[in-house]
Amino acid sequence: MRPRALRVLTRKNVLAGLMFIGIAALGLFLSRHYPVGTTLRMGTGYVPRLLCWILMGLGAIIFLQGLREEDDAARPGGWAQLVPLVVVTLSLVAFALAIEQLGLVAAILLLIGIGALVAPGIKVWEALAAAVVLIVLSWAIFVLGLGLPISLWPVW
Amino acid sequence: MELLDNLAIGFGVALTPANLGFALIGALVGTLIGVLPGIGPIATIAMLLPLTFRLEPVSGLIMLAGIFYGAQYGGSTTAILVNLPGETSSVVTCIDGHQMARQGKAGSALAIAALGSFFAGTVSTFIIATFAPPLARVGQSFGAPEYFALMVLGLVAAVVLAHGSVLKAIAMIILGLLFGLVGTDGQTATQRFTFDITALADGIDFAVLAIGLFGIGEVITNLTRGGEDRSIMTAPIKRLWPTREDFRLAWPAVLRGTGLGSILGVLPGGGATLSSFAAYVLEKKVAREPERFGHGAVEGVAGPESANNAGAQTSFIPMLTLGIPGNAVMALMIGAMTIHGIQPGPQIMTERPTLFWGMVASMWIGNLMLVVINLPLIGIWVQLLKVPYRFLYLSILLFCAIGVYTIGNSAFSVLVAAFFGVLGYVFMRLECEPAPMILGFVLGPLMEDNLRRAMRISSGDPMIFVNRPISLGLLIAAAILLLTVALPAIRRKREEAFQES
Repeated sequence: MRPRALRVLTRKNVLAGLMFIGIAALGLFLSRHYPVGTTLRMGTGYVPRLLCWILMGLGAIIFLQGLREEDDAARPGGWAQLVPLVVVTLSLVAFALAIEQLGLVAAILLLIGIGALVAPGIKVWEALAAAVVLIVLSWAIFVLGLGLPISLWPVW
Repeated sequence: MELLDNLAIGFGVALTPANLGFALIGALVGTLIGVLPGIGPIATIAMLLPLTFRLEPVSGLIMLAGIFYGAQYGGSTTAILVNLPGETSSVVTCIDGHQMARQGKAGSALAIAALGSFFAGTVSTFIIATFAPPLARVGQSFGAPEYFALMVLGLVAAVVLAHGSVLKAIAMIILGLLFGLVGTDGQTATQRFTFDITALADGIDFAVLAIGLFGIGEVITNLTRGGEDRSIMTAPIKRLWPTREDFRLAWPAVLRGTGLGSILGVLPGGGATLSSFAAYVLEKKVAREPERFGHGAVEGVAGPESANNAGAQTSFIPMLTLGIPGNAVMALMIGAMTIHGIQPGPQIMTERPTLFWGMVASMWIGNLMLVVINLPLIGIWVQLLKVPYRFLYLSILLFCAIGVYTIGNSAFSVLVAAFFGVLGYVFMRLECEPAPMILGFVLGPLMEDNLRRAMRISSGDPMIFVNRPISLGLLIAAAILLLTVALPAIRRKREEAFQES
């Protein structure tokens, strides 16, 4: 059993409230130098800062409501759930870094290779077969069919 | 007859071989993603947006529209056969549809769902054709203050009609408005929230945001949920044609569902999902023996299935006539139009009659195709369900990545989409609906623009919104809507309606 104070923090609405407050605070920090102007002559910062303050207020209310609720944990599960999140993000980052210099084929291989790590119950040969099929398919649709200027192979 | 002339123009456009082909592709893709759980019309349309860049605008829009209403047909198939809603709009169809299938009446349920949808599609196409021109004429008399008031009403309605917490929905809209501000401020040419990254100077591309939130976010959510049990109900479909008794019970429900769906579809924030939920509640209320519901009542399939298709179609009305998106899919359609350099708004109907009427006519043709695609070919779609999620997941992930990259040939966009994917996952876990955020994102710049224009007209006097009767009426309507949600009695009713499933 975790301490009560910590368990409260896993509630959906508590977390959601904190998220909105956090984003609003970040927005206010980033816009701290934007000129606000007046209501009649709105400056660059007028609308963004107004929205951030509203968001912060809403976040605070959602947070407080969450504290008052019955125990409603976001999800049991723990850190294992973060694995797909990290892997999917990494596969997209790899694709983005590869596509322009290494070409489409390498980018797809990287995306499938990394992404397959979390594909439920996939075998190595299945991942390879999927990569081949998807490379051919993407080439046919985007390069051949639509004539988009994507290089297939590394550009030296 | 003006209506017949217009429809003749429309069918002339829609019946060209190329456009028939695109309608068919749209209907097929729509059915496919409708059948497959884990990918919805929003993500698909966003992914396919770049594919339509090189098409004629009409053809592209015909195809994208086909995906949207096609998904309503496909979603019911899995709901009935597998007890797994392919789309959120067919969640309620599971309740009685799957019970019918277990009693050996799968064929009957599928046929009623398809025929009900077709009837609803036909009626709502005529509703669009009849009511769109007068509405567009009203729209043409709108100035900046009226548009601003209309968008306020739209956002308020989106909040009221969203599932779950009203406060969270409002917060999500504000978040969408904030993301819409990223980029260069048109008035002062200063950059806002760009972190000095040149690629962000033009703002975040709408399709990138949508693919990230809905495509990638859903992929991550599905993976964390773990191995989903998809036991397919493979009882052979004996007879497709419903019995006379089923017909007798179904047709009044189809009529009610069509009526309700057509009305709810027009409302901002409305559309397919809301219509199907509301129709199920209505059917249960008017039924003589409500206890049959949940045990295979035909009306529980006929009503919601007609309603979701009617709602899907009539939600095109505000988009086509006023240029205002009522839901996230319509926001994407607006994105598709602007990509082709078409300014959405009331002038579309007069300036581009072939585009408008071609789309309307193609909707009816698409619905006809869908009946054929869904009924005799049902076996093929069921087979597709056996494709393991591991392959589906890799394909969706890749097409999201390439789709985003091709929007602006920018690798940076893929990183932005990945960021929104993570955000989308967080939202889903915290039960913050991303749909209102998309609406805020699209309407944000439009609202700011109209607000500033209104202020220029009145030289800075905010009373302009109250002095103009139409704008005043719209704002009062928005205030009343907002007040009603705040009243405890109505709030309870609203929660009941959404929990009925």
